[in-house]
Amino acid sequence: MAELTLEPEDNPAQHPLPKLTGNRKLWIGCFQAMASDCELLIEGVDEAQALVLLMIAAKETWRIEHKFSRYVSGNTMDRINTSSGQPIEVDPETTLLLNFSEQCYQLSDGLFDITSGVLRKIWRFDGGDAVPDSVQINDSLKYIGWNKVGWHSPMLSLQVGMELDFGGIGKEYAVDRVMLALNAEVDRLPKQSAFSNCRFVVNFGGDLACSGPRLDGSPWTIGVENSERDHTAVATVSLRQGAVATSGDSRRYLLKEGVRYSHILNPLTGESIIDAPHAISVAATSCMQAGMLSTFAMLHGEQAEAFLKAQEVQYWIQR
Amino acid sequence: MQLIKRKASESTVRPFQKIAPALAAASCSLLSVASNTALARGEAGTWDFEAASLFYSETDDRVVAVEPVFSATKNFEDGEVLNLKAAFDALTGASPNGATPSAAPQTFTTPSGNSTYTTDAGDAPIDDTFKDSRVALSASWLAPINRDWEYNAAFYGSKEYDYLSLGTSGGIKRYLNNKNTALNAGLSFSFDTIEPEGDIAKPLAKMGYNDADFDASRDDSSDSKTIIDALFGVSQVINRNTIMQFNYSVSMSDGYLSDPFKVLSVIDDTTGGNFEEGGNNVYLYEARPDSRIKHSLYWQTKYALANGDVIDGSYRFMLDDWGINSHTFDFRYRWQLGSSYLEPHFRYYMQSEADFYKRYISETEYNAGNLKEATADYRLGDLDGMTVGLKYGHKLDNDHEFNMRVEYYLQSSSGDKGFGLLKDQDLYPDTKALIFQVGYSF
Repeated sequence: MAELTLEPEDNPAQHPLPKLTGNRKLWIGCFQAMASDCELLIEGVDEAQALVLLMIAAKETWRIEHKFSRYVSGNTMDRINTSSGQPIEVDPETTLLLNFSEQCYQLSDGLFDITSGVLRKIWRFDGGDAVPDSVQINDSLKYIGWNKVGWHSPMLSLQVGMELDFGGIGKEYAVDRVMLALNAEVDRLPKQSAFSNCRFVVNFGGDLACSGPRLDGSPWTIGVENSERDHTAVATVSLRQGAVATSGDSRRYLLKEGVRYSHILNPLTGESIIDAPHAISVAATSCMQAGMLSTFAMLHGEQAEAFLKAQEVQYWIQR
Repeated sequence: MQLIKRKASESTVRPFQKIAPALAAASCSLLSVASNTALARGEAGTWDFEAASLFYSETDDRVVAVEPVFSATKNFEDGEVLNLKAAFDALTGASPNGATPSAAPQTFTTPSGNSTYTTDAGDAPIDDTFKDSRVALSASWLAPINRDWEYNAAFYGSKEYDYLSLGTSGGIKRYLNNKNTALNAGLSFSFDTIEPEGDIAKPLAKMGYNDADFDASRDDSSDSKTIIDALFGVSQVINRNTIMQFNYSVSMSDGYLSDPFKVLSVIDDTTGGNFEEGGNNVYLYEARPDSRIKHSLYWQTKYALANGDVIDGSYRFMLDDWGINSHTFDFRYRWQLGSSYLEPHFRYYMQSEADFYKRYISETEYNAGNLKEATADYRLGDLDGMTVGLKYGHKLDNDHEFNMRVEYYLQSSSGDKGFGLLKDQDLYPDTKALIFQVGYSF
């Protein structure tokens, strides 16, 4: 396999180098980001071209991870979360993400809230049985609520003690951004070249999008993890165009007295959503849209299906 | 485990608001790209339409043609493509009848034999009864057989007042080398029937000026020809910027290949004026061989520059058993300007004359009576043609495209300049034409 070279600044988290395997029929690129296995399937290009595309995908994903991760000191998120009540000016990309988050907050009647991350301090989904009490929950709720955030683009002011977290949309956002970057690269090339036959899938741990059907016209068949058997078996979805995103509680839940508390938390009550499906996959035009629909559905718990039916989208539910 | 694919239409109760469209809009503005809920052109399940109107006008009030074309393409999920096309032509004006201009006015019998028309002294004789409309319909089907093979089939029919053409074609394409190479072979067959008003003229028969003479010059009421074309081609992606195509095709025509509306002048050996018999100028209807085999080689290269511009150059060499060979050079540069493009076009065509091409027939040749074939149709003579054009296209946000094209065509012929009185005449007038086309695809 040919070597892939990356500048150190392209890989700030020092992930292992992306790997390309496969052959001219199907290239499989793999790299790590956002605590997921990121996969790029590419058809219709030669090895050098596949490597170029893989490198673009990895660089874009790592850029987003580095910029919006909660664990990188000095990055955009860190600057926001350590602003100590002072208004700060944010860049255009962050502006778009904040606008989007605000729209999601409104569309979900407050169920989707990027300020809900502070609940993680009291809810630890490690498979144990430490369920927080109402005192802890009420204490946390003081720091939750997008309506408490001062957002007048591009100025953002966050009360002391509040935090923002793009964790709920980061992976889907990265999938869509990588799709855009890859499409731009393919479009940049002349239509008559081998690239005009290029098709690809971007799959970040079940959040995925494709650039169209496979070259032989058939759909892509993608495995979606089976939460109950955990990694050992997969259910598959067929995808010709658009995106699929999955929300679920596989391996991230609390079990206490036979009740399974999912890691999906209701920011209005501070409680874990009970009786939510194990996993919900939704198909939509973009991965962001699919991701939000599956997340919203999850937040509706046992009402997940009724919510999805009203959306008139294609979905798969694992209970 | 339950994993059931469901569609929302099963729902009877809807306690929830439909927010999916609002989320789609929010995602789109986040990603700063237009929504593709309206599927892009060429995607499965959609019909793409194209409407265009071509206007062709030759100077000196000669042929004027208006041709609206409507085309619809359907792309199916498994890669099949169906195309239906309809075109309507309306032609009016006049076309050179092949006779030489003369120092005296000339009178011709119309092809129908019903009337006569007169050309002024010094003017190129043109048949101004030339008026026709044509409707053409075609359907083509293209489908992959598997990843590497593809086939296509098409049917074609067109009808004019006195002409019917029916055709069918089929082809097969084989992709190799990860679709970087494509080999294709095609075969087409067409059958044309002509049934001119006033019947078909006998080969080299003398134009009649009265009913008896006219009838004597007539043959059957209709005639036909068959054309078989075979094509072999290879296209090759050279690198990321370059694609090259190479075709060889052979075309075999059999049957009535003459133009029933074309004549030749017989020229007096001593004066160089029109030769007369019984007080009338002598004109003979043209006669062409009843078969023709054409071979052509075609080479095209497209090269894309890093900035998105495309250079497209091609060359065609054609050779036939009538003694004609031709060279065509074509060059286009597609200049991308954001969502618009400008495409200058230059084309140069040069052709040598057919073995039986004669600008006129001499009195001696006429009296000897041993000519078998002759034509004065400038399209079979020595000629050079040049086209200069500019196309402008603009892609709209909704993936529709508007385009317009303006071209100027200049054709000049050359050959035997004649003798005596004929020397004073312009035997090879230039043809100039303006072509204007507007199109919209949606």
